[in-house]
Amino acid sequence: MSVAIETDNLVKRYGDVTAVNGLSLRVATGEIYAFLGLNGAGKTTTIRLLLGMVKPTSGEARVLGTRIRVGGKKPWGSVGYLVETADAYPELSVRENLEVMRRLRPGTEPQAVDRVIERLGLTDYADRRAGTLSHGNAQRLGLAKALLHDPELLILDEPAIGLDPAGIVEIRHLLLDLAREKGVTIFMSSHVLGEVSRLAQRIGIIHQGTLLQELDINELERNRRQRLLIRTRDNGAALDVLQDAGFAPNISSDSTIEVKDRLAIERPDDIATHLVNAGHAPTMLDVEQEDLEHYFLRIVGLEESDVG
Amino acid sequence: MTNLVPAIWVELFKARRSKVPLLTGLGFLLVPIVGGLFMVILKDPEFARHVGLISAKAQLMAGVADWPTYLELLAQAIAIGGLILFSLIGSWVFGREYSDRTVKDLLALPTSRSAIVLAKFVVIALWSAALIVMITLVGLVIGLAVALPQVPGQVILQGWITVALTAGLAIACITPIIFFASAGHGYLPPMGVAILAIFLAQIIAIVGWGEFFPWSIPALYSQGENLGNISYLIVIVTALAGMAATFIWWEMADQNH
Repeated sequence: MSVAIETDNLVKRYGDVTAVNGLSLRVATGEIYAFLGLNGAGKTTTIRLLLGMVKPTSGEARVLGTRIRVGGKKPWGSVGYLVETADAYPELSVRENLEVMRRLRPGTEPQAVDRVIERLGLTDYADRRAGTLSHGNAQRLGLAKALLHDPELLILDEPAIGLDPAGIVEIRHLLLDLAREKGVTIFMSSHVLGEVSRLAQRIGIIHQGTLLQELDINELERNRRQRLLIRTRDNGAALDVLQDAGFAPNISSDSTIEVKDRLAIERPDDIATHLVNAGHAPTMLDVEQEDLEHYFLRIVGLEESDVG
Repeated sequence: MTNLVPAIWVELFKARRSKVPLLTGLGFLLVPIVGGLFMVILKDPEFARHVGLISAKAQLMAGVADWPTYLELLAQAIAIGGLILFSLIGSWVFGREYSDRTVKDLLALPTSRSAIVLAKFVVIALWSAALIVMITLVGLVIGLAVALPQVPGQVILQGWITVALTAGLAIACITPIIFFASAGHGYLPPMGVAILAIFLAQIIAIVGWGEFFPWSIPALYSQGENLGNISYLIVIVTALAGMAATFIWWEMADQNH
């Protein structure tokens, strides 16, 4: 497996604050890797470390085989990036902003500007001053700057921020196409697990500067908690039936019986049979998977009750 | 220093598309206009009082309305006003990348950061030089328009050389000031430093150490003070130090903006 990004025990401290704490991760070539965390978790600092914008306190990062050092010239010709907010020179048009970027990336052909404008759906805004763009279009311009020179590796900080739902779907397809058809490696940060789970093959969850979990998308499915929700006309009696059958049910807040036993989740039909035989046929039987948001909050140690 | 020429193109393009060159141009126009006005007043103070150009109580400075006085006035205005306006140009060229939050897009490119910094210094120098050419031409037209008494061309040329060299000294002195646009992440810190430098320059010149204080030197030069080589060396070292600090800062410092 060739590796596009590799960090080894990367640490970044600002005074007493540890922004990134011992981060070791590997992103394979051609992979879409999502870097997930709450605001302030260390995502942007990690991206700045990968791009050589800040010096690590200790540890090192390698990007496309080059050891990153602040102010280094390699490997940026093959990397496109978007850090934090998508910003542009407000008095220049969309096309002019891209032309400026093209000149600073030698070897990028002049036609690349119009191509990327079309690809990002900015054709109608090409001659509009960047300062007058909506959030969504400013974000598209930021992505266009990252994609302009057909990079091998894209490092994108919250690429979907500011986009409307249609824009999010469109950009997701664009990134998927780049990865599938051109083998582009994509390292993207996000704070929405639901969004990246449709795109990424691997997910790293960072909290307070520490990588808590790295998992592929199938593991994510397996790791999410499941529970069986049951309603009957007499929940109290049904609870006794289930307890007698060896399960550990409890009544949830909305008067629904909740069973977390693996056997119950895998064979809800057996539960139904028990209840029917006891004369308490279920009025509802539902295997519910923990949603991604709850999963994420559970992993970072913030249950729903903690966040209100 | 890879890709310097495209970096200069980019910086010139950004400067051309902004309103700041126009504003600094208008600012510099004040120099010959005010200079010309003084000449009109000096030529005929009674007339100036009569039409309300000056108050009846005005204490007129000593001087006569002629080319050497006019050009010395311009040189003195540039020594102080130029420091502010050149600092403004430099602060904008560097500081706008922070105010517009675009600096991050310049940091991980195949174009080296040093090329971008050098391109910015080149644009600051060209822009400042263009302003000097502009006030030379406008100053000449105004000087002719107020009909200053004829003097040999040599005298006028000498005056303009003083104006140009004063401007050159002032431009050289601003590099440490504009370093603060990068280190302070915006326009305001360098403008604060510029005001402080000019304030200190006045005080230090008054107490007699001006020839050793870089920001006093352009004004002393414009007044025809006999400066030693050490003063010119101080200005050159100041200019190089400011540039070196900016290069090092862009290449080495953590960039969190």
